[in-house]
Amino acid sequence: MSVRKIVGVTFDWQLLFVTLLIPSLGLGILYSAGYDPDLKIDLFSLNSIIIKSHVFLKQLLFFGAAFVAMLITMLIPTRFWHRYAYLFYFGALLLLSAVLVYGTISNGSRRWLSLGAFNLQPSELIKVCVILVMARYLSKTPPRHGLYSLTELIVPALIFLLPMLLIFVQPDLGTALSVGAIGGAMVLFMGVRKKILIAFALLAVVGVGVAWNSFLLPYQKDRIRVLFDPESDPQGKGWQITQSKIAVGSGELFGKGYLQGSQAQLEFLPERTTDFIFCVLSEEWGFSGSVFVLGLYAFLLYRMMMIVLRSKDLFSALLVVGISALIFFHMFVNIGMVIGYLPIVGLPLPMLSYGGSSLVTMLFALGVALGTTVRRNLYVS
Amino acid sequence: MYAYDKSPVNLAPRVVVTLILLVLAFLLLVARLWFLQIMRGDYYKQRSENNRLKTVYIPPPRGHFYDREGKILVKNRPAFNIEFVSEQSSDTDKTIRELSSITGVEAEELTKQLKNQKSRRRFEPKVLLQDVSRDLVAKVAARSTQLPGVIVNYYPARWYLHGDFASHVIGYIRQISDAELQSPKYAGYYQRGDLVGKYGLERKWEHFLQGKRGYQKVIVNVRGVRIKDLPAKEAAIPGHNITLNLDYAVQKAADDALKDQAGGVVAMNPKTGQIYAMASSPRFDPNMFTGEISKDQWQDLIAGRGRKLNNRAAQGAYPPGSVFKLLMGAAGLSEGVITPQTTVHCPGYLSFAGRRYHCHKRSGHGSVNLYSAIVQSCDVYFYVLGQRLGVDRIHDYASRFGLGAPTGIELVQENPGLIPSTKWKREHYKGTEQEKWFPGETLSVSIGQGASLATPLQMAVAISALVNGGKVMKPLLVQELSAAMGSYHDSDFPPKVLKDTEVASEHLDSVRKAAVGVVNDARGTGRRSKLPDEWGITVAGKTGTSQVVALSRKTDDKKTEHHAWFVGYAPAEDPEIVVSALIEHGGGGGKVAAPVVGEVLKAYFERRFVEPEEGTEEKQEQPVVEIEGEPQVQAEKKEDQE
Repeated sequence: MSVRKIVGVTFDWQLLFVTLLIPSLGLGILYSAGYDPDLKIDLFSLNSIIIKSHVFLKQLLFFGAAFVAMLITMLIPTRFWHRYAYLFYFGALLLLSAVLVYGTISNGSRRWLSLGAFNLQPSELIKVCVILVMARYLSKTPPRHGLYSLTELIVPALIFLLPMLLIFVQPDLGTALSVGAIGGAMVLFMGVRKKILIAFALLAVVGVGVAWNSFLLPYQKDRIRVLFDPESDPQGKGWQITQSKIAVGSGELFGKGYLQGSQAQLEFLPERTTDFIFCVLSEEWGFSGSVFVLGLYAFLLYRMMMIVLRSKDLFSALLVVGISALIFFHMFVNIGMVIGYLPIVGLPLPMLSYGGSSLVTMLFALGVALGTTVRRNLYVS
Repeated sequence: MYAYDKSPVNLAPRVVVTLILLVLAFLLLVARLWFLQIMRGDYYKQRSENNRLKTVYIPPPRGHFYDREGKILVKNRPAFNIEFVSEQSSDTDKTIRELSSITGVEAEELTKQLKNQKSRRRFEPKVLLQDVSRDLVAKVAARSTQLPGVIVNYYPARWYLHGDFASHVIGYIRQISDAELQSPKYAGYYQRGDLVGKYGLERKWEHFLQGKRGYQKVIVNVRGVRIKDLPAKEAAIPGHNITLNLDYAVQKAADDALKDQAGGVVAMNPKTGQIYAMASSPRFDPNMFTGEISKDQWQDLIAGRGRKLNNRAAQGAYPPGSVFKLLMGAAGLSEGVITPQTTVHCPGYLSFAGRRYHCHKRSGHGSVNLYSAIVQSCDVYFYVLGQRLGVDRIHDYASRFGLGAPTGIELVQENPGLIPSTKWKREHYKGTEQEKWFPGETLSVSIGQGASLATPLQMAVAISALVNGGKVMKPLLVQELSAAMGSYHDSDFPPKVLKDTEVASEHLDSVRKAAVGVVNDARGTGRRSKLPDEWGITVAGKTGTSQVVALSRKTDDKKTEHHAWFVGYAPAEDPEIVVSALIEHGGGGGKVAAPVVGEVLKAYFERRFVEPEEGTEEKQEQPVVEIEGEPQVQAEKKEDQE
């Protein structure tokens, strides 16, 4: 049986290609970000391949796992996700609640469930589950009069507000906002009445004020303050953003060269394998390298939109819209953060930042998106 | 049940709007990247270079001091600091408590030190204890596992090998102050944390002693750790070594002879002006300036009874008393108002203007000539001589011998002393009734009293001129400045005649003959300065006992005592050395100051007659690793602790 017979004629090979290209480039960047000249890991003990980066090897394993996850989700029929959407959703909500009680505390918040061999981060899981449930609910109840009214929005809002609240109290503001952004993007894609949009815009302004005065933690406020004036405390609170901008800016047009980024290699860049991985790319490959990688994301999102356009059913379309929102939001917030647009929130750069949970989630979700193009002809009629 | 029916909404316009929004979002990101990387790329490139490139300065080894025989007096040694790196310790309080129990220093004291250096980054070492003993270093090193974050750093420190030996001449060094950094003398080269000479020759010859720092450009990581050295570098140039004219044995004898009395001693070669010894008491130990100095210690140094930082040999001015009579004799002979044979009757006083001016010997000396007047220090003879000369001629001759003006020695704040004149009084007391010169005052000046003031150094220079044929020599502390690297030329300090007294040598000889009598005659006042008879070296000189202003007599017992002077030289026929000694409130010059001069002369001539014993050469306390400049990252220079 040929590959074409399995995946069908509509399968988006270009999306698959870019989906694998981005994390592959990510491995290259990560090798540099985690480069330690004193390290000597003799791969296969042949004295021929010497690896000088721990995180590179780990991420290679994560990439393998994520690739397998993607292959599986790619081949699962879309109706499977439709059928079990609520089951997954409530299962994930249950885990999210469990995390508040049994979760492991690190850096002052409960985010992880320890499951023996590996740690599970239910907030990653819920991102995909919210997409599934939102897609199912919105496709079942499209706006009655072209655009959603306030009453029609109550249920979809509850779908993403509930997990948002559970994540917010962990506390993990960045992930909570990303869940909200995904839900919001899906609702907006379907269309919302202008009055509601305006009302929400006003509400958001008031909300920011309330947030500032009531529930934002001091460290979160500091992060916003330094965004506007990082040089006020360049050695302390403004250190990360200052060094990040220096790394990006000093890359100039063509960068300092692979493994040559002084900001990264001499450890001036904090969190350079995770949240600030984009700086390593920008410093060593310059404007040209940064724009190239941005181009890859843009191409990825473009292919996703083409899938949406060609999809024959609303559930699949909304599924892909949600997954696009997931990737776009993480990418935009992360890059916006390192170049000084947005305050520092701990969101990883999809498929480039070091970390298994994020990579598996992203490839898992992209597998679902690719799955909607597999043998689509089978479902037609 | 499964929604595979055709989409109830039209997707195309939604996708188009989404794509437009995406394009805008990406443009926003690209625009920012363009701004940071292309428009401001140069700026950020520079900042990243500033991050990674550091200049490590290599302090130059400061020049050493040697005595005239090449004996080492001052060099450099490694000093150890106990420092703390917060980043390496998870529990600062626990580490501090542990360190406190090892060192015996109060934990609060250590915590205070940390707080004072709050501005340093977490990975930068903060100094806890300065210049600790090797024992303590060993103890701390042995317990290093219980002391996370505690490190031992070493840096070059000044080492004055003989403690307070000649402390007023050599001086001391200390961290440069903010004010000094901005002064034209230091601006440009010096940096915060540099050690500079603050006193004595350490200060005077600072620019030669300092040398030139070297540097090494290095690449550092975020914690300031050196990753790689770059080719750009320059070696440090050691400072000039200074060979002094001081003679260790003579200086030591002067230091010791002063004991705990306040006073000053100067020994010099009358022919060359070379200073063999310049002692001032009480002394200070310049080594103490390496570490921290408490408020009390400072008070003790600059104020208090001792005023230890006061160099009494050059900064202390006292009425020269009867020593001045030697110059009076020379002036009288030179002006022809007396001859050696001229006699004056001393009944114990001189009546003048209805007042009796007493001789120190109330019963009187009877008939005295110049010789016996000097030997017995008869005041009446010199009252008469003073009247014949008049104050302005006295002033003229005193000036010819270098009194009343700085000698030009290489020390700052030299006291110029004072010999009064009618002109001086007119200017000094302008507009008051004191403006006029009273003839009675001439009598006081004639015996070195009244407003007259001179330093022990000036007296040594003046008596040198008396015994060397009338040449006022520039006093010379430094023999040679030599640069180890040959980058500067050696500078010699040849004898320099400042002026000629223009007093005929026969007159000078007459006075010198009397000075021999002062020490050697049965009735002489300076007999206690004599050298052992078997050496066959004749000492000559003149005692002085200068009165302390009566005002303070009632308040302080000790202060009512007279200042004791003695200026001596030997051998009397062809003097090689002149020694002047002053003991503040010491009492009679013959009793107190003459023995001091005797000790110094003894030390000078001793080696010609006594074989040095084996093993008397002072042993160095410890083998020392010479530091020729320990590299220090500029950013980690010590804070000024004063």
